[in-house]
Amino acid sequence: MRVPTDTPAILTIENLSLRYGTRPILRGIDLTVDQGEVVVLLGASGSGKTSLLRSINLLTRPQSGRIVIGGEPIFDQSEDGIDRLRLPAKKIEHIRARTGMVFQHFNLFPHMSVLRNVTEAPMIVRGVPRAQAEQEAHDLLRQLGLEAHAEKRPAQLSGGQQQRVAIARALAMKPAILLFDEPTSALDPELVGEVLRAMVALARGGMTMVIVTHELGLVFEIADRVVFLDAGQIVASGTPADILLSPAHPRVAGFVARFHESIDMLKPFLQIA
Amino acid sequence: MFDSSVITANASLLWQGLLVTLLYTVATIASGLGIGFAVGLAQLSRLLPVRLLGRIYVEFFRNIPLLVILLWSYYALPIFLHVNITKAWAGYLSLSLYIAAFYAEILRGGVEGIDPGQVDAATALGMSAGQRMRRVILPQAIRRMLPPLVGQSIIQMKNTTLLSAITVPDLLYQGSYVSSFTYRPMEVYTAVAAIFLIILVPLTALARRMEGPHARAH
Repeated sequence: MRVPTDTPAILTIENLSLRYGTRPILRGIDLTVDQGEVVVLLGASGSGKTSLLRSINLLTRPQSGRIVIGGEPIFDQSEDGIDRLRLPAKKIEHIRARTGMVFQHFNLFPHMSVLRNVTEAPMIVRGVPRAQAEQEAHDLLRQLGLEAHAEKRPAQLSGGQQQRVAIARALAMKPAILLFDEPTSALDPELVGEVLRAMVALARGGMTMVIVTHELGLVFEIADRVVFLDAGQIVASGTPADILLSPAHPRVAGFVARFHESIDMLKPFLQIA
Repeated sequence: MFDSSVITANASLLWQGLLVTLLYTVATIASGLGIGFAVGLAQLSRLLPVRLLGRIYVEFFRNIPLLVILLWSYYALPIFLHVNITKAWAGYLSLSLYIAAFYAEILRGGVEGIDPGQVDAATALGMSAGQRMRRVILPQAIRRMLPPLVGQSIIQMKNTTLLSAITVPDLLYQGSYVSSFTYRPMEVYTAVAAIFLIILVPLTALARRMEGPHARAH
């Protein structure tokens, strides 16, 4: 497990707030993710973790705050709603292309082959020539154990295979950071493992990742930091052991209590007293 | 007694009518598709005024009976605009604008029926709004839209019979003409009905077959 060092921040979020109508979803979030760091967002449903993840690449547009990705500001809006950047759509799309996202329901393009799913965005967004895009796609599919399925349609694959294609599709854009929104929640239990293994391999390879998940095994395995959200605010942040094994905040304790059984089962494997 | 010689003796008049009917069907479907897609995309625009214009167009043409549109554009519009409009143009425009409203609704429904996750995925990959529409949404939407588009086009062929109200010599108009001098409406109108059946039953079967595998896939 990596110790955060003074490597440059890939993602900086400052005082981010989001409302749906008058309902506050995120309230003054500050978060920095360093190069190669794996951050897991935890919290009860409705705590704002998915909204925070979707705000990073502006799939959901917050009301105020600041977001910088790889040194480039993508969002900077004052409390009274004044857009200080006024970025053209093209610029936002350009920055977005440097973030990869993996969704709960895979969201593969059903009318395209697996290969096309992976090559489409590099070709039309980054302008990579077809031959090169296909070469890179085949390499990625091989890494993820999917080389036999390149010509199939997504519907012909299992959920676990589809989610691995979705990971390949995101990686094909050579993102600076990967965002995962509950990537295993929609999977049958026996298919979870293959997706988790792919994520562990990515983390070991040094990929910067922000993950919303309830897979505590994965959290202990790859998270450098756990960020716990409650009612749109970060209430605790630290190593998985700090946050989950000796929770200080009552909300975290309440959340962890529901998982206690599984944590107790994990303890022997974690070499923790 | 059914006297089929009435039909055979006047076959060329009916044939001419059928050609007019087919011509209007094909021409108004073609231009209706063009207008309908433009209006449908307008209804999906991010800009409220554009969306509103699309909506107004659709509600306008969907809620006036086609026969009224035809009569109004042939008899009333020339008086408003102080121009002469031939019955051919009045018929062509009315039918095109009318069906475009229905095509626009089919497009809107087809696009709105696409899983929002598809837009999320395309957006997250950095695609522009145009790329998302062309590469991800429309190819999926058109597949869903095909059966209702065929269905609406079949209705359009039947609707061309209203052209006879403004004396465009379509199949029905020619039929009533033949009937007016042969005094054999039974044979003539039976023939007209049979011609529509022969053309449209296979097309309806085709539309149904297109719906079949599609319905199973979703």
